[in-house]
Amino acid sequence: MTMCLAQSNAWAGIDVTRHLFLFSPILALILTMLAIVACPIIVGRSAKTIGAVAVMGIIASFILALRVAGEVSEGGVSGLSTLPAAGLLLVDNLSIAFQIILLAFMGGVTYLWWMGSSDSEENAPEFFILLFGSAVGMALMVSTSNLLMIALAIETASLPSYAMVGFDKRDRRGAEAALKYLIFGAISAAIMLYGISLLYGMSGSLSVSVVAKHCIEALATGHDLVITMVGLMCLLAGIAFKVSAFPFHFWCPDAFEGAKVEVTTWLSVASKSAALILLARLVMVFCASISAPEAIGILSPLAWGIGIMAVMTCTLGNFAAYKQTSVKRLLAYSSIAHAGYMLMAVAVFVHPNSEHSQDGISALLTYIAIYMFMNLGAFGVVSMVVWDTGSDKLSSFTGLLRRAPLLAIPMVVCLMSLVGLPPFAGFIGKWWILVALGQLNNTLGWFLIIAAVFNTLISLYYYMRIVVHMTLRDDGQPALSFPLGGVALVNLCAIVLLAMFGLAQPMKTTSEQFTRNIFDTTTVAKTAVVDAATIQPIESVQR
Amino acid sequence: MEHIGLTHYLIVSAVLFCCGIFTTATKRNAIGILIGVELMLNSTGINLVAFDRYMGPGRLDGQIVALFMIVLAAAETALAVGICINVYKNLSTVDVDSASQLRG
Repeated sequence: MTMCLAQSNAWAGIDVTRHLFLFSPILALILTMLAIVACPIIVGRSAKTIGAVAVMGIIASFILALRVAGEVSEGGVSGLSTLPAAGLLLVDNLSIAFQIILLAFMGGVTYLWWMGSSDSEENAPEFFILLFGSAVGMALMVSTSNLLMIALAIETASLPSYAMVGFDKRDRRGAEAALKYLIFGAISAAIMLYGISLLYGMSGSLSVSVVAKHCIEALATGHDLVITMVGLMCLLAGIAFKVSAFPFHFWCPDAFEGAKVEVTTWLSVASKSAALILLARLVMVFCASISAPEAIGILSPLAWGIGIMAVMTCTLGNFAAYKQTSVKRLLAYSSIAHAGYMLMAVAVFVHPNSEHSQDGISALLTYIAIYMFMNLGAFGVVSMVVWDTGSDKLSSFTGLLRRAPLLAIPMVVCLMSLVGLPPFAGFIGKWWILVALGQLNNTLGWFLIIAAVFNTLISLYYYMRIVVHMTLRDDGQPALSFPLGGVALVNLCAIVLLAMFGLAQPMKTTSEQFTRNIFDTTTVAKTAVVDAATIQPIESVQR
Repeated sequence: MEHIGLTHYLIVSAVLFCCGIFTTATKRNAIGILIGVELMLNSTGINLVAFDRYMGPGRLDGQIVALFMIVLAAAETALAVGICINVYKNLSTVDVDSASQLRG
């Protein structure tokens, strides 16, 4: 029953070199972090030097991730133990695909930071240590199905994020945002850990597949139902906090508004999508633990729970975005709404043997990839406006089409893509989520489709408000000065969004390739662990 | 005489957890809230160790997790106190109600 890492015989038959290779993207991130720690001692604290080291680390990690992707693309799985289910870490298509997206996005954020930082920037090493630390946490979050590792990964991702939000020590708003983020985060982490302790106690294992089996038994028989469900709800609450889903979203607008724009960009995509992939993996393990396809209905309370949470998140984010005057805060609410759309994809509970088993998860992966470009572009424009005018109010965007056409046009493309209008990639992401929901062909599926379409209509209004301010109004503000590199970045994002619309079919094929055999992974995990049955009843072991 | 069993430990930890929740909900001082979070984390530790002791011989997972939790709590506290000091420098108080610039 002990963890496999603690067993001496667990190391027999493990090809250490291969395993280190499979985890090399994460290891490269950690090594770069150490290099950045050493940099101030050896070559000084210059922002440009540290930035260069960071970029080299990201590129190295990216290349390694691509190579690993080639190795595991046919459903490879690995853990740091002989039993995939008992291992603390695993590598599969999904985790490596997310790592590739994460690293690409990290490159974009680093570039944005590099554009915005002046030569007097003194805290570059600290910023990058925090950035890399949270990236390691997010990469770990998607490559585990072990409760201990889930808790550790979420905390590894969260703790640096709190510090990043309050990074500017002289900024009152940053300090306040960090305090709020920290308090909500600490409470939800504590609740999640309590839930994990209950689930561990009830099922006798930290492996999610064993826990899932126990939960399904509890749902089917009603034995231990209350305490198991309390544990499960607490665990879901912790993950929902990272996603910023409905009852746990309060930190999101405050933290995003108070933080620097680069940090907001990073958190809005990376931390949310990592938590969503983690949630999707949990859902898959739960579905794979059901033996017969007909019995999937047993999970319908859980599916409805996530579905309703998705609808509430979406609607709340869209309605709250209405009256915002700060564009940063508006985009924060918009990111809550998008987390809602992505949660809808997670709510696609299907049995692994069914025909459409991976539609939901491949739609989610595509959506995250597209969302990354939309947000990078939109926040890139916001950051350049903030650097020049010092304000992120809607009024400082007035007449942007005349003042800086090279910023206004990509901003329009990104905003329209965020709405999900057809000539842009955002449409594809939303369309595939709707298709996956439609293929469920049950009440929940149609309910979510109606909610998603309704929400898209609402969101059109507040995105258009920014567009109208930029194009139709003009109050004679002076032209904007901006770094050329930044313009290149946001225009690149806009072009990618247009190109992705044309390349819809190849993208679908790729994301299906990366999500193929995910259910096999979890099925292997299911068959490999049978030790839950060996737990003795409580009475017999009272010593 | 009745033996002290798993249930007793679970009740103690549940009470401790509820005290933590109550503290975080009622305290307005950031340090007070963090003390509440510590109570919640410690109740987790009691749960884990009690499950290991009573649910079967030779189980170690829970105790290992409990050790990780202690380290986690320490890391979180260190960061939290740092952020509180920063808030105090900027706002001259750690009362969470006074942190009200960001809203809407």
